[in-house]
Amino acid sequence: MAKKERVTEAQEWQTWAKRYDIDGGIRTFESGLTLKVFLGALFIGLLMMPGAIYLTLVSGQSGAGAAPWVAVILYTELARRSFTSAKRQELYMLLGLTGAAVGAGTQYRGFIWYSYFIRTPQAASYEIADKIPWWVAPPPDSVAIAERSLLHMDWYWPIVMFITFKLLGVMRGLGAGYVLFRVTADFERLPFPMAPIQAQGATALAESTTKSETWRWRIFSIGSMAGLIWGFIYIGVPSLTGVMMSEPIMILKIPWIDFTPAIEGFAPTGVFALSTDFSQVLTGFVLPFPVVFSEFITACLTQFFLNPQILYRNEILHQWRPGLDVRGTGLYNGLDFWMSFMIGKAFSLALIGFAASIPIMIQLRKKKKASGGQRVLAPPAGRGDFPIWFMGSMWLFGMGAYVWIIHKLMVPNFPLAFLLGFAFLYTPLNSYVSARTFGVVGADLFNIPYLHEMTLILSRYEEIDIWFSPWPDEDYGGGTQGWRVLELTGTTFTSKIAADLLIMPILIISGILVWHFIWKIAPIPSAQYPDAQIKWPFNATNEALRITSLRDGNSQMLQALRGDYVAAGFSSMLAIRGIIWMSKVYQGSMVFFGVISGIGGDPGMMLPKLTGALIGRMYMIKRFGFKRWFQFNPVLAAGFGCGVGLIGMVSVAIALISKAVIVKPF
Amino acid sequence: MEKLASMIIIGGTLFWLISILFLGGGWRPQMLAAGILCIGIFVMYASEGFVGQETDDDDEVPE
Repeated sequence: MAKKERVTEAQEWQTWAKRYDIDGGIRTFESGLTLKVFLGALFIGLLMMPGAIYLTLVSGQSGAGAAPWVAVILYTELARRSFTSAKRQELYMLLGLTGAAVGAGTQYRGFIWYSYFIRTPQAASYEIADKIPWWVAPPPDSVAIAERSLLHMDWYWPIVMFITFKLLGVMRGLGAGYVLFRVTADFERLPFPMAPIQAQGATALAESTTKSETWRWRIFSIGSMAGLIWGFIYIGVPSLTGVMMSEPIMILKIPWIDFTPAIEGFAPTGVFALSTDFSQVLTGFVLPFPVVFSEFITACLTQFFLNPQILYRNEILHQWRPGLDVRGTGLYNGLDFWMSFMIGKAFSLALIGFAASIPIMIQLRKKKKASGGQRVLAPPAGRGDFPIWFMGSMWLFGMGAYVWIIHKLMVPNFPLAFLLGFAFLYTPLNSYVSARTFGVVGADLFNIPYLHEMTLILSRYEEIDIWFSPWPDEDYGGGTQGWRVLELTGTTFTSKIAADLLIMPILIISGILVWHFIWKIAPIPSAQYPDAQIKWPFNATNEALRITSLRDGNSQMLQALRGDYVAAGFSSMLAIRGIIWMSKVYQGSMVFFGVISGIGGDPGMMLPKLTGALIGRMYMIKRFGFKRWFQFNPVLAAGFGCGVGLIGMVSVAIALISKAVIVKPF
Repeated sequence: MEKLASMIIIGGTLFWLISILFLGGGWRPQMLAAGILCIGIFVMYASEGFVGQETDDDDEVPE
């Protein structure tokens, strides 16, 4: 029997990275920032920001995916009719700026949330309402809250603090995100599978302004039509019927169809809630098949075997009772076992992430020796790179100022050592591991639940203001994907940063104004905002429990933490990684990432993704060929996102117009 | 080095199973097993660092 050849983890990732690259990896870099791009982004973004906020409150999804595509489609159509062409870099810049403009509104959600929370029965019964600090929200009897107005002097300090932190956050995000990008993309050459979706979308539309129709435009159009149909069923019908009726009609229940009570007969303590967001099928097309498949299998094993047959029978899961839905079952299972297990799992991911950089360091040293000591990490020419030391220093300054403000102005009695530990130890670790998981599966897998609570126990800090204070525990891992997309589209980094800084002040002001208007239309939550109406009361209970979890020695959630279960999570994941490696399973490191993301998970949430992965593998690859399919699917996903967002925006527009007619804010 | 990594990993895994099934599942024996597994994981990745082969990207449908 021939000995199985070992393919290293680095080789697996780099092979996948080549599949996701465009133009065969050959790139020239140009600036994407022009006056028309800037003005176009501003116009479309501000026009659609209200819709994005409204959609979030109605369906739980912002629908902000549409606005950038609308901007880009309008831009390309104008270019064609003007007999000019649009550059890929301009279109990607337009995508980014419009997305920032539309997304700017969601940042102020916290103001509305705390305005609601401060007046809930939960806040009153847990004696929190009168203790919420001055930088969070006005007091519950404030005129600003009674009148549902953000344009009131009572909001002065919360808004000032928010803007200050935003500016410091930009410094930190840019600095750390860039350094992590250099490490994960230039050094480790991770694939970043979700990055090509945006890059390919911009490329497809840029090509449409040339004289000949390309395959990219055709595939983008097909995706858009599919997205329009799906968007109408999933978002359009509930939004439009919600305008005319007291209860909207949902063809598919948002966000899931809960089968948990139905399976309790043969799988007590198991959960199964089928996600109705079938746009995840497109995600399944894009992600590596071993990741998606192993994630689903692991989740099934968890809910149909591990939970009912092992953990429940051995009374490890003991709070569950028949009749609970997915939320209740998930809550009790978490308290009994999975919360602790996930902490251990997260640490194993961190350790494996660090260990995975060892072979790359070794290879780098070999290359450096072979090249006679020359730089092997020099960035591509013309990309607009910065010195790593400069970006690192910017992050240091931003983080230092952030910690200083929290310590001096917000929670002066909270031990500074903990703030410094979070800022300069935990944040770099968390961000690095997260950046790697984004580089591998396009998602964040590193999460330590109740870290703040554990810190408060250790610090013996009892005041309630700490629960509302920002903590310097941040995760810049997701931002690395954005830098990768810039690189794939050939957009200079300097032009992107300049554009973001130019648009920021405008968005700060407009975001506040838009939330003010939406709040004026109807209370949040209310029947006009069904997603908020379903989730916010539940979230208020969780928030009250979280804030008071350490009061009077009562630590319901922390009492749930068990060292042996944390150790089980840590050890088991290490053992599984080792066994997968030893068995030389094909694409074993991807299988491992699937296992680690699926364990403890709900298979119903993964079913749409799996469907996409199976369709891609069993039919699409055979139909189109491997290389072509991997060129198609990011473009298809981009088009689909555009279509869904477009129909969402139309529905929102109709709903907002009808509301404006019925209820006048002045 | 691969063989060394494999042996450490097998040893750590078996010790972890023993700690769950026969030693009451306490956090101390589990963390001891985890320590062994950590060493195995580091040796595993170090052994990959010394694999110098290049693989080609292929058009074939993955098995």
